[in-house]
Amino acid sequence: MSFFAVNNLSAGYNGRNILNNISFQTENGSIVGVLGTNGSGKTTLLKAICSIINHTGSCILENKDISSLKPKKLASICAYIPQRSGIDIDISLLDVVCMGFNSRIGIFQQPTSEMKKQALNALNKVGLSQRADENYRSLSEGQKQLCIVARTLVSNARLFLLDEPESALDINYRYKIMALFGTMVKEQNSCVITALHDPNLALQWCDRLILLKNGEISDIIEPKKDCIIKMEKALSNLYGAVALTVCKDHLGNEHYVLLNQSEEFLCSLK
Amino acid sequence: MDKVFCIITGVILLALVICSLFIGKYPLSAEGIITNQGIQRKVFWTLRFSRTIMSVWGGFCLGITGFTFQTIFRNPLSSPDIIGVSSGASAGAAAGILFFSGSLYVTLSAFLGAFGAVIVTLLLASLDNSGRNNSIVLSGIAVHALAQTVLMALKLTADPEKELASIEYWIMGGLNNISLYDMKIPAVICIISMLMLFMFHRQVLLLSADSAEAKMLGVDVKKMQFIILLISTLAVACTISLTGLISFIGLLAPHTARLLTKNNRRTTMVLSGLMGSVILSLADIFARSAASTELPVSIFTSLIGAPFLIYLISRRRNAV
Repeated sequence: MSFFAVNNLSAGYNGRNILNNISFQTENGSIVGVLGTNGSGKTTLLKAICSIINHTGSCILENKDISSLKPKKLASICAYIPQRSGIDIDISLLDVVCMGFNSRIGIFQQPTSEMKKQALNALNKVGLSQRADENYRSLSEGQKQLCIVARTLVSNARLFLLDEPESALDINYRYKIMALFGTMVKEQNSCVITALHDPNLALQWCDRLILLKNGEISDIIEPKKDCIIKMEKALSNLYGAVALTVCKDHLGNEHYVLLNQSEEFLCSLK
Repeated sequence: MDKVFCIITGVILLALVICSLFIGKYPLSAEGIITNQGIQRKVFWTLRFSRTIMSVWGGFCLGITGFTFQTIFRNPLSSPDIIGVSSGASAGAAAGILFFSGSLYVTLSAFLGAFGAVIVTLLLASLDNSGRNNSIVLSGIAVHALAQTVLMALKLTADPEKELASIEYWIMGGLNNISLYDMKIPAVICIISMLMLFMFHRQVLLLSADSAEAKMLGVDVKKMQFIILLISTLAVACTISLTGLISFIGLLAPHTARLLTKNNRRTTMVLSGLMGSVILSLADIFARSAASTELPVSIFTSLIGAPFLIYLISRRRNAV
């Protein structure tokens, strides 16, 4: 039995289906990336999994269908990072992170001092502990995203759904955040499903990649197992003409690099 | 620092309360009240004391509910008016003036009008399953228009000499003619509502995120929004059914509090209430002492509120 399974999931907006019969499984301790071009259904998939939008089909987490769970129960096992947080009031970073404890405390209860310590620790992990008492609105978009990541880290969830968490971050933090989630899923035996726009980041950090095209899964690849030719073919099917190559960093670690291939070059080969 | 602002505002309010008790057409002195010279004690207990209590309580209530609405709707211009409370109360009060006699019935029908309008707004909003905040605002606009139509129809049938003047005077708002007897039940409801809003403060902050985000933080968005708006409405309806419409305090008080504290913590909620009390007490003192006849209190709250609104708009433009 898999840790998390999506079975025949279809979803859309205003009666129009964006996703058709999506099925896949994930294991605990893994990061699953969702890649696709704009409008392919990445965000819709994440929103359908956590029942933000209506859908058909089932989403089974540790033998339990999470579609029917009440918000508090759902939040206790499943955390979600939207592309942009809707928080637009004067509130401290510490208070934003403490929102992540909501599923663990009663409606009228306040976060305990122990929880506040955990929140500070989470802010420290994303490099914002020095600014814990500052106004959330005074942060840049990237820093806001880091603060929301910190809020997700304290949630104790089993499944993390991240909608392009890297989109507002600089290159350092893109890799730092993925490393943070990579360590966390191993330690907590949980699972991350993340929509990503950067395939190079996805190829480096994800155990499995779900490739979405026109609302359907075109391929599922595993960068640590699959051969480069298979992956290049699958990614070309998704993005058009691309070349996948391997390069080494200064420490000798190998990384996949996806390059956009010009159409003229492909024509010259023919 | 937030607590310091609360204490300073509390001290200013205390000073205004003392002024409010002794300023007015009929001169009062502490000695005169104690020794019961003339009708000083009677004036003190039946007129000054009740309207001073009403200005403190009414301002506090409008400040707190303004804070709640602005936070939930993430809109700095939100107030209980946007979901039809004021227009419902006006239509209710007009019906009370036309069809019943006695201030108690007018108060009761204004309360029912305000509460009924909000129930209709929330029911209409519940028909939209998208979970968007603006469905409540749009429903509020529809209910407001409907209540205004009812009010106009009632005004048309009113006797221009007596009833129409009473309706207009009620709409202008004022703290005169309020007795301690009238205040008992609304005060109890209001105090309970205020306490509940303080207890729900953390949920109010969670609702300030968008609905999908709030849901994924474990908030039953529709249910929580319904409960908090209902409690707020109950408090506002209790207040304005006694005072008539009082403009701008729900807008002014929370913004002033936030300008000082720069946050939305529970202390800022308290400060919003205290600011509301200060503004209404000040406006009421002016309303009864600025001219030979008593003026509607809304004139003074609008005099402070309108420039503040312009300031807010220019501040937002500069921010962009």
